[in-house]
Amino acid sequence: MKPSRLALRTVVLIYVGALIGVPLVFLFQQAFIHGFGPFWSAMHDPAMDKAIALTAKVSVVAVPLNVLFGVGVSLWIVRHPTRFTRLLDTAIDVPLAISPIIVGLVLELVYAQTGWFGPTLAKLGLHVMFSYPGIVMASIFVSLPLVSRQVIPLLREVGDHQEQTASTLGAGPVRIFFTITMRSITWATAYGVSLTLARVIGEYGAVLIVSGNIALVTQTLTLDIGSNFDNFNNYQGFVGALLLALVSIVLLLILGIARHRERTRNEYLA
Amino acid sequence: MSISLNGVTKYFGSDLVLDHVTDEVPQGSLTALLGPSGSGKSTLLRIIAGLEPLNEGYIELDGRDVTKVPARDRNIGFCFQDYAPFRQMTVFDNVAYGLRVQRVPKAQLKAEVEDLLDLVRLEAFADRYPRQLSGGQRQRMALARALAIKPSVLLLDEPFAALDAQVCAELRGWVRSLQRTLGITTILVTHDQSEAMEIADRLVVLNEGRIEQVGTPDSMYDKPANDFVQAFLGPITTLNGVAYRPHDIELCVPGLGTDATVTDVIRLGFEVRVVVENNGIASWVQLTHDEAQRLNPVVGEHVSLRARTGASVASPQP
Repeated sequence: MKPSRLALRTVVLIYVGALIGVPLVFLFQQAFIHGFGPFWSAMHDPAMDKAIALTAKVSVVAVPLNVLFGVGVSLWIVRHPTRFTRLLDTAIDVPLAISPIIVGLVLELVYAQTGWFGPTLAKLGLHVMFSYPGIVMASIFVSLPLVSRQVIPLLREVGDHQEQTASTLGAGPVRIFFTITMRSITWATAYGVSLTLARVIGEYGAVLIVSGNIALVTQTLTLDIGSNFDNFNNYQGFVGALLLALVSIVLLLILGIARHRERTRNEYLA
Repeated sequence: MSISLNGVTKYFGSDLVLDHVTDEVPQGSLTALLGPSGSGKSTLLRIIAGLEPLNEGYIELDGRDVTKVPARDRNIGFCFQDYAPFRQMTVFDNVAYGLRVQRVPKAQLKAEVEDLLDLVRLEAFADRYPRQLSGGQRQRMALARALAIKPSVLLLDEPFAALDAQVCAELRGWVRSLQRTLGITTILVTHDQSEAMEIADRLVVLNEGRIEQVGTPDSMYDKPANDFVQAFLGPITTLNGVAYRPHDIELCVPGLGTDATVTDVIRLGFEVRVVVENNGIASWVQLTHDEAQRLNPVVGEHVSLRARTGASVASPQP
């Protein structure tokens, strides 16, 4: 191996190792520092179990909504371009550009008891802030562009000739969507779903503000981990963090597969 | 099925793309829509298919107004220039698509698709995916897919543009005979005049959204309605300010024609091009191999030029 290449590889290994490898090993080490028994009982911590359940409940609603929105908006932007959709195309990136804390504060401004719509919605019995709906809204907001950013470029590249051909063959819009459009964006959508899920599970700032961070009630897994460290309950925090890291690794693997499938598919285009 | 276009007009924004296009396409004919890029020919094809709305005018199929009928109900076969294969489906499923929409029973569907694959000589490729086919095979698959719905009209957008010369020549003849066999009214769009003359029995020359001339390839080559059509259908050169086909000019005895000087002789096998100049204006004469041998023009030689009797010149049609 050439010295230059060896040096380059060493630098990359040290870089990746310091940023990802060492912390991950440290996480494992800390979570199992007392052996399996305590780890197992920490896994059954009531606050953490509640938090995991809430995170799951939020994901189950936020991810499908985001997929529906993402695919729908992508189709609208690509297939029916107007001045408005060009604006929308840009506006959709706003959640990525602004800090999640601000997202939380804006939602609070609008939906809190003292906010614009808060009192009206409260009269209807709907409490957005410090409860489940608020957390779902914050999660959807921060992950808004993650599906459409994957789908839009692919829709542009695939073009509409297949869809138009299908319509000359007698197919209606619903059949065309499921037999042609959806089949060309399946993997891009899967990729977007993984990104959305990772974001929803890992979101901290926006959810912190919107949920009120109430233990056993509105704490998601990330908030539970945070409060464990705040309360010098580090061991419980590490166990939660390891869990979160493992979910992310699984998601990463799925992402890798989706991206690989996408790439091989794209090679067929040539 | 006959197609009648009545004052078809189309704007893209404020751009006039088609300007009151009127034409009668007879049943069973093969019409080539010929024109330079931007002449509106592809847009016209898409409008006939119902893939594009029009701003003015109406379209009839066998006398029935279909202007407001959506593409899916027009029963018109359409092939895009890129063939638009359904990438995630096998060749069989591509061809079967229209039949599945019509809920054709399974056994009948299989038989019909197999017949079509035989027709386009892709019987051995039923289980392949479009990405595993060559350009020519993809085009034949797209044709079979369009023919599966037993369309009343077949529309082909630049069907040979994406193919290499040899495959293209082969497919032209094949498409021509297929069209004759099936007797299906066909319109194809092309920018290539030799392709249009070879394959079509009717030409429609479009320029800037207007029809310049309609007729048989022969009559239009010999009697172009104007300079545009004449120049578009074949090479031209000028002699004394009049545009002629280069093979309609002959070298003659000095004094009988216009004096000129030979500046170049280009031999292309059977065809020999003699480039001449008179009073600083260049033109060229096309000679056959035999004529060139007999006359033996050399560079620097003074010659005399005149138009042959019966030379075709642009003449507005009555």
